[in-house]
Amino acid sequence: MPLLLLGIASLVFVVSRLTPADPLVSIVGERNLNNPEVVAAAKARWGLDDTVLVQYSTYMKNLVQGEMGTSFTTRKPVLDDLIDRLPATLELTFAALIGGTIIGIGLGIAAARKHNKLVDHISRFFALIGSSLPAFWSGLLLLYVLYARLGWFPGPGRLEPRSTPPERITGFYTIDSLLHGDLSTFWEAATHLVLPAAVLGWGVVGIVSRLVRASLLDEFSMEYVRVGRAMGLRERTVVNTHAMRNALLPTITIVAFTFAFLLTGAVLTETVFSWPGVGSYAVDASRNLDFPAIIGVTLLGGVAFLVTNLITDIAYAFADPRIRLS
Amino acid sequence: MVHVSKSQSTHRRRFARRTAAVAIVGAMLLAACGSDPDAPSTDDSSTGSGAVGGSDSALVIARGMDINSLDPSLAYCDTCQIFMTAVYETLLGLDSSDNQTLVPRLATSWEGNAEQTEFTFTLDPAAKFADGSKVTSADVKFSWERLQGLQGSSSYLAGSIETIDATDEGVVKVTLNAPNSAFLAQVNSPYLGIINSKVAIANGATMDPATDKAEAWFLANSAGSGAFALKSYSAGDELRLSRNDSYWGTPAAFPEVIMKETPTAVTQRQQLEQGAVDIAMQLSADVASGLDSGDVTVKQVPSFNFVYLALSENAVGGEALTPDVREAIRLALNYDNLIQVTAGGAGQSQPSPIPNGFAGTANLPKPQQDVAKAKELLAAAGVGDITLDATYPSFNVYGVDFSTAMQQVQTDLKEVGINLELNPVEIAVWADKIGSDGIPVTMLYFAPDHTDSSQYVQYFGMAEGTQWQGWSKTEPSTEQAALLTQAFATQDSTERAALYEQLAEAMIADNVIIPVVNPDLFLASRSDITGMAYSACCNLDLAKLGRA
Repeated sequence: MPLLLLGIASLVFVVSRLTPADPLVSIVGERNLNNPEVVAAAKARWGLDDTVLVQYSTYMKNLVQGEMGTSFTTRKPVLDDLIDRLPATLELTFAALIGGTIIGIGLGIAAARKHNKLVDHISRFFALIGSSLPAFWSGLLLLYVLYARLGWFPGPGRLEPRSTPPERITGFYTIDSLLHGDLSTFWEAATHLVLPAAVLGWGVVGIVSRLVRASLLDEFSMEYVRVGRAMGLRERTVVNTHAMRNALLPTITIVAFTFAFLLTGAVLTETVFSWPGVGSYAVDASRNLDFPAIIGVTLLGGVAFLVTNLITDIAYAFADPRIRLS
Repeated sequence: MVHVSKSQSTHRRRFARRTAAVAIVGAMLLAACGSDPDAPSTDDSSTGSGAVGGSDSALVIARGMDINSLDPSLAYCDTCQIFMTAVYETLLGLDSSDNQTLVPRLATSWEGNAEQTEFTFTLDPAAKFADGSKVTSADVKFSWERLQGLQGSSSYLAGSIETIDATDEGVVKVTLNAPNSAFLAQVNSPYLGIINSKVAIANGATMDPATDKAEAWFLANSAGSGAFALKSYSAGDELRLSRNDSYWGTPAAFPEVIMKETPTAVTQRQQLEQGAVDIAMQLSADVASGLDSGDVTVKQVPSFNFVYLALSENAVGGEALTPDVREAIRLALNYDNLIQVTAGGAGQSQPSPIPNGFAGTANLPKPQQDVAKAKELLAAAGVGDITLDATYPSFNVYGVDFSTAMQQVQTDLKEVGINLELNPVEIAVWADKIGSDGIPVTMLYFAPDHTDSSQYVQYFGMAEGTQWQGWSKTEPSTEQAALLTQAFATQDSTERAALYEQLAEAMIADNVIIPVVNPDLFLASRSDITGMAYSACCNLDLAKLGRA
């Protein structure tokens, strides 16, 4: 895994340096690009006056020691930035994933059991909308209707602008507020999660429900299901206890990878909802050609996929004893 | 071993499920009803709609923040101007009623010699920093020398300083390396704010970029004498300022100011309407439309910010942009239409790169479209249909979307036989291109750093070494350099205005920079907010805001 991450870092380093773009503009601003003293000072300060090879070896040496450099835009160590912002993204991702998976599985089961009936069609339509609506559009729409017009839900951000975040323990506002016994902040943080999590989770519902439906329909055609039904087992038992267990395996894979994808891909949702997470950090980093931040976010994405892969393998073993035994 | 029958097991599972459901609903209800009235964390409804807190509640501003640093010697951005004005006081202030007259701030009086090479400031003996220590000439010397030494983006403002004499702790004597009649205006710029030198040095501040280690400290702390101090900063989320309760002047009305990262204008409007924030001042004309109601007040004010087209004959692919062709382009543009399309009609046309209202602009004629003359010029120059690369940064600044503006420019120029190939790119890509090959036709914006016209000549003029002389690769103009030197050496404001008028006319004749629109600002606030005013030097002075 460390070698793989170093490979990712090297690749991103080379690609970002090959891009025909000037990162100095994010450091000195476009007004000073022709000012030789300012440009020289900025290059020296950020190590951009060294050859690319020297920059690469310095970066790698630091990376091995756990230092990811300092962001050109936030002027803070990238690792600190990621630690600051990751909980916001994780909180949103977990909310979207848990909500989306539960609803998706429920819809998938309902659609499979009522194959080609009204429930199936409605579920398919709902899934199609969720998978195809762009997050920036559905996000803006939900904000406009449910926040700006009706006032039923809170607006953007993790808390109301006037509120003070709970003292950091985990960085998850919901958990930290509970740990501090502050129920009003907990409620505020939880309600602020609803709209962005709905936008992000709707896509998950679409993916999971279609997959569960297809997997269950496959399982329904298996002999053991027919035998179960012939033995007079209740339909709920046949579906939930037997068929669903087998249908769960591909679902675990897709949910795990959706998690990793959401972790680094919630860019639009975070932007629309002014959510200070890794996604909006990645957008700013790429806009400003903030090399250290870009590599940091990429490495985080790599770690997320690797860890998710590992967790998927472990979850497989729990879901299917045959895998554990083999 | 205890045997449990199948039906017992089912009942237990059902019971467990129902109990869990009841527990979850109960917890949610408890959370909903369990708001602690004394909790400092929130003071309005959880949905953010409805009332804002009382008169002693925080002031909340929704902004797309562009902060590059909070180190006073390195910060350089629109939000930095607001921050610096609130936290680090300058020697001179600006009268917000006319945006021109300099007024005392840390200095009670000042004078310059006739040659404009020496300036003396007498500090207010009552002035003190947030930690209670006195503001002295040593702090001024340290602040300006550090600004110069670190070579940050705003260091050019201290570039003319040769020496600073701080022998008398209440008097600052500055000697410049050349006459500079703009110096007082530069001293008023928020980037020349005064730092508590002892505190800064104790936290790693030096004057050398190689040894200075204070930037990280300044991201979490401040060392100024202003009405506010930095409370906390979370990049991409919020900036919090707390009132300096031991402020030596009139204390600010708000105990806390929160600037909340809100990148989109639509969201800023929604939050303002809902009462979740007090101020939004980055609204475009269409977003601000219909916002003025009982709860929200919108002031439309002329700004000094502008968006411009830049033409570079010597850029790769720009050979066709001869002086006649550039003149034709200036005449081909429909300025009224551009203002309508880009700013919803809420803007002004601007004759020269020096914005309306600055010295030297009073007598300049407004730009007018003249398609016939443009065609005539092109025909006389023997130019047929030409195609030009128009790479520009995909910005949306001050409510102006560059793509919309460039499409309108493209339409206007097509009428006279000039085709633009529009190529919107990220700013870093644009910077690389303009710094290497140059760009024949591009678009950019400018906002002032201070109130003197010289900044525009130094940036847009064709004297050697200016930003656009370099980017356009134009032959340096010795005439403009001489006029600017003359303006810097002149103390009399009428004479200076006349010199800047000549410079403005020279820049119009260059046709390298063609201002497209000078968009108005929409200062939107909750109706109980008082003191909202746009400042030419400082954007928004937080210390002057209050709640009725």
